[in-house]
Amino acid sequence: MRMNPVYKREVMVSARSFRLALMLLVFNGILALVALLNMYSTLAQVRLTAEIQYTSFLDLYLFVAALEFVMLIFFMPAITAGSISGERERQTLDLMLTTKMKPAEIVLGKMAASLSTMALMIISSFPIIAMVFVYGGVTLRDIALMLLCYMAAALFAGSIGICCSAFFGKTTMSTVVAYGILGLVVLGTFGVNQFAYYMSGVHTDGNLASIGQIASYATSGNCLYLLLLNPTVNFLMTITRLTGREQAIASVTTWFGHHEQTLIASQWVLISILLQLALAAVFLWAAIQAVSMSKNTGKKRR
Amino acid sequence: MLKIQNLRKTYGNYHALDGLDMEIADGSLYGFVGPNGAGKTTTIKIMTGLLLPDVGRVEIDGIDALTEPYRLKEKIGYVPDYFGVYDNLKVWEYMEFFASCYGLEGLKARKRFQILLDQVGLGDKEDFFVDGLSRGMKQRLCLARALIHDPSLLIMDEPTSGLDPRTRLEFRDTVQELHEQGKTILISSHILSELSELCTDIGIIDAGRLIVSGSIAEITDRIHTSKPVIITIFGDKTAAMKLLKEHRLVQTITVKDDSIMVGFTGNAKQESELLAQLVGAGVPVRGFVREPGNLEAIFMQITNHKEERVVLSYEDESGL
Repeated sequence: MRMNPVYKREVMVSARSFRLALMLLVFNGILALVALLNMYSTLAQVRLTAEIQYTSFLDLYLFVAALEFVMLIFFMPAITAGSISGERERQTLDLMLTTKMKPAEIVLGKMAASLSTMALMIISSFPIIAMVFVYGGVTLRDIALMLLCYMAAALFAGSIGICCSAFFGKTTMSTVVAYGILGLVVLGTFGVNQFAYYMSGVHTDGNLASIGQIASYATSGNCLYLLLLNPTVNFLMTITRLTGREQAIASVTTWFGHHEQTLIASQWVLISILLQLALAAVFLWAAIQAVSMSKNTGKKRR
Repeated sequence: MLKIQNLRKTYGNYHALDGLDMEIADGSLYGFVGPNGAGKTTTIKIMTGLLLPDVGRVEIDGIDALTEPYRLKEKIGYVPDYFGVYDNLKVWEYMEFFASCYGLEGLKARKRFQILLDQVGLGDKEDFFVDGLSRGMKQRLCLARALIHDPSLLIMDEPTSGLDPRTRLEFRDTVQELHEQGKTILISSHILSELSELCTDIGIIDAGRLIVSGSIAEITDRIHTSKPVIITIFGDKTAAMKLLKEHRLVQTITVKDDSIMVGFTGNAKQESELLAQLVGAGVPVRGFVREPGNLEAIFMQITNHKEERVVLSYEDESGL
């Protein structure tokens, strides 16, 4: 099978670049430092109390996995936001479009190359994450679920970056807009829920006070389901369930008031991953359309 | 080879192409000339599939550009007016990448790009990073890239802009060589003197329409007739003036010292007949010559722009 030329070139160039080596060093350096400090503090505690706190190792897993997720979701738009606009700036996009390459091949090649970089970062951190296996408590299935959550988030964040890159001619502009959209998804969904919860509280508490009730029944209502779009919520749900701690966080029905246990709430992680993948597909489709559409206008994008 | 019919393209209210009709014969080296904003680049972008026209038809070797764009791309090689290179790739990697964009892989691709790099004089630069190449070398690399899939039509949009005179000459030789190998080539340029020396055919576009198109010989002939015939008479001019005034192809007569400048619309044969008539009428003709014309003259005449929007020759541009 013929390898996508754009993917092949991107991987070759990035493997050669100093930037990738530096990114891997910084990424794994931070993870390793955090993991080793955590382990050192746990062992120091053992020496003092002669008591092994196995939950500390789960904390280590939780912390390393969370750090990895945050870095991943912040790196991904930075990698992808310049992918198509960079080609425009170098004036090589037109050259590719005069060949037999289709816009879809260009966009998907770029996306695959960005995901490869991300996968390389995740795989290279496995030895650090594997430290928790020394003490047990986390199964391979848990790790696989976490990786699935990572990949869905990476694809989602990456597709936002690629889409912005296809719509804006300048990398700076597309990076700003990509982070703006991601910020809106991550923080905006929380904000909307908080607002809905607050408004519901004002309304409900007022009514209950009038009939002499004490307890508050305020919730954010259906706004809760907006959190399905939020990769960080999905990650928190996955990771807290894996570590078997903080049950309150593990069920989304306890967030922003007490919601009813619905089918969506019970299958939250799966639905959220599917939704993120579907949205990623929509963003990629939009990016392909944007690259194809330049034929109709012939204008350089700003 | 290339047939364009009623091509129209507007950007808002601006008509970039206004019913362009154009034909390029197989094996010709066609110079595509026009002032800035005439529609050259828009036409080229439509030909290469980078832009869709509002109306019209582009056909190359019988393949419709709009209905079968990907079949058409096998036929076209495109050299834009910019380099379009990846600085972080080596020369051979750059060529290999574009070869794979056309579905050429492995040994076949390698053999093909090695031949092309040798042809453009970059055979010994295969392992150089593109970033380290000079402007001329980058342009030659772009030419090699455009030929990687062995297209039958090579389209070049102002390929020599920004190159020094020596590199221009070298580039021109390479283009000439490609033409001799049987490639049909379209070059758009502002530098008319360069095109007149290189091309077999010329097309002049203005305000989105093709004003003049034909072989260099045909166009030179038109230029020829637009220039006056200078007749130098020894002694009395009365007989000559009488004959000229009565001649049906004489448009204007201007007398200056012992010369008569005649606006004569006839061709070379009719010129010789006029000379014979003058001699036959006993006019002592001392000189009979058509003032030399050039492409620039007809270009300025046709496009009729008060401001000089084209570079009439490289010397003019460089101030040499």
